[in-house]
Amino acid sequence: MLIFAKRNLLLYFRDKSAVFFSLLAVLILIALYVFFLGDLIADGVPDFPAKHWLLLSWIIAGVITVTSVTTTLGAFSVMVNDQATNAYKDFRVTPIKPPQLLGGYIISSLSIGFLMCIMTLLVANAMLLATGEPLLSFTQLIQSVGVLFLAVLTASSMTSLLVIFFKTSHAFAAASTVIGTLIGFLTGIYIPIGTLPAYLQSMIHIFPISHIAALLRQILMDAPMTEAFAQAPVEMKESFQLNMGVVFKVNGWHISPLVSVMYLLLITIIFFMLSTSVMKYTRR
Amino acid sequence: MENVSKSFGHVNAVDDMSFYVTKGSLFSFLGTNGAGKSTVISIILTALQPDSGSVTVNGFTVGKEDEVIRKEIGVVFQESLLDPLLSVQENLEIRAQLYGMAKQERLAAIQRCAEIVDIHSILKRRYGKLSGGQKRRVDIARALLHQPKILLLDEPTTGLDPQSRQQIWKMIGHLQKEHGMTVFLTTHYIEEAANSDFVIVIKEGRIIAKGTPIDLKQQYSADRLFITTTDHIALRTHFQRDHVQYQEETGGYTIDLPNTLAAIPILTTYQSLISSFEVRKSSLDDVFIRIHDRKDV
Repeated sequence: MLIFAKRNLLLYFRDKSAVFFSLLAVLILIALYVFFLGDLIADGVPDFPAKHWLLLSWIIAGVITVTSVTTTLGAFSVMVNDQATNAYKDFRVTPIKPPQLLGGYIISSLSIGFLMCIMTLLVANAMLLATGEPLLSFTQLIQSVGVLFLAVLTASSMTSLLVIFFKTSHAFAAASTVIGTLIGFLTGIYIPIGTLPAYLQSMIHIFPISHIAALLRQILMDAPMTEAFAQAPVEMKESFQLNMGVVFKVNGWHISPLVSVMYLLLITIIFFMLSTSVMKYTRR
Repeated sequence: MENVSKSFGHVNAVDDMSFYVTKGSLFSFLGTNGAGKSTVISIILTALQPDSGSVTVNGFTVGKEDEVIRKEIGVVFQESLLDPLLSVQENLEIRAQLYGMAKQERLAAIQRCAEIVDIHSILKRRYGKLSGGQKRRVDIARALLHQPKILLLDEPTTGLDPQSRQQIWKMIGHLQKEHGMTVFLTTHYIEEAANSDFVIVIKEGRIIAKGTPIDLKQQYSADRLFITTTDHIALRTHFQRDHVQYQEETGGYTIDLPNTLAAIPILTTYQSLISSFEVRKSSLDDVFIRIHDRKDV
């Protein structure tokens, strides 16, 4: 299974266009922020200390979240390709079993997603350094890596179900781009959740990936938030957190980080179970 | 030891087919596109389950001992299925690992297979950049990695130039004779089947003829005598008088013969009128078309 995963990794990184396409949505997102979303969001909130640091941290959390989805999805391009070119036929004559093959695809997707997210995190750190803001602390890094691990697990489980339905590489590439763009809306990354109508807010609350964004925001924005709201009343900080999707409030309840983590784990298990059973069904 | 024996009914692809392949022989499965060749291959490979009937490979039953069978068989698929972005060496290493080979064993296996199909010079090149003939050789090397006793080739020479085709054929012959492998291949080139020990011709999932290439040829071929003459009118009158069935062709006449020797009396009878003659044995292609077009099948 590990050998097969290694082969998939090798193939993914050899295919420069696959790597590029899985990062395309992230690049688009960064471009959007640089050109106008950044200003739009900054204008939307009142001036307070450490504003730039705070908003940059918010953006970084969003970018990493999108990365976790698009790279795990992109890694599955190897699997779609194997289906499209019949390459899987050759594996079916080796002693390796179909569940092990699926396992190999998932492991490679997880490793690619994790690697890319860590890279994004490092790039983000460099961005903080370049704009003269404090770097992420060691604890923040460790915590983020933990969340990233969970993030790629969830993202990979959800995308694994999705890829089963794609039979050609073209359809898959097109879908990846669309999904990469949609994900920004579904997780409240393009536009702060507070400015959206209630039904969209509920959708974002239900969508598991949003919880990854929220967890990352809680970690990355902790320090700048303390500084920004040091002099402000507690209500102001709370409304900012709700508005920016740092904390979700569902039916009057604040969702604690633990609940988010449990929710993500549950979703991961459900989706992995779904994709293995769908895979069995479609093979027949 | 008899290897493959099977009989199973299937709606379309393979219809109640039974045959066996002798160990160490070169066996050809002949049929046009869509005759059911690939289906049979898939079943032997344990990739498809027959609806009914049973298949035994080297004493192991398909559907029950699939894993053992997979170790016994090396396959060369119709399409080139290795990873185009990886080098030949990488491709072979990965496949060898999937068979659970350790590092030393793996390198030895790659050396051994590269030797057989002569691909040492292209080991470092990307599989996707190779020519059709080179790819095919690498495919054969891949099929030999785990030292199978049986080699299955699904249309191994389709789409190759004549030179590569001949090269592949030499290799297949070498593997069968020197390494004692049982070779099972499908083809739609009848001249390739001529090299094999036994041929089965299938059509629409059923066997329509079988035997050694020579048997088939004798059974289905017809010899023809071709005569040219300077005196057309005299020859035609003689033919008509003696009730000889003939066809006119450009520059001469052909007469169907029951066998080659039957030409001699005709030649002696009309010796004075004949300016040249030729006895044409029908090619295997003619045989194939003749078998295939038979009305009773």
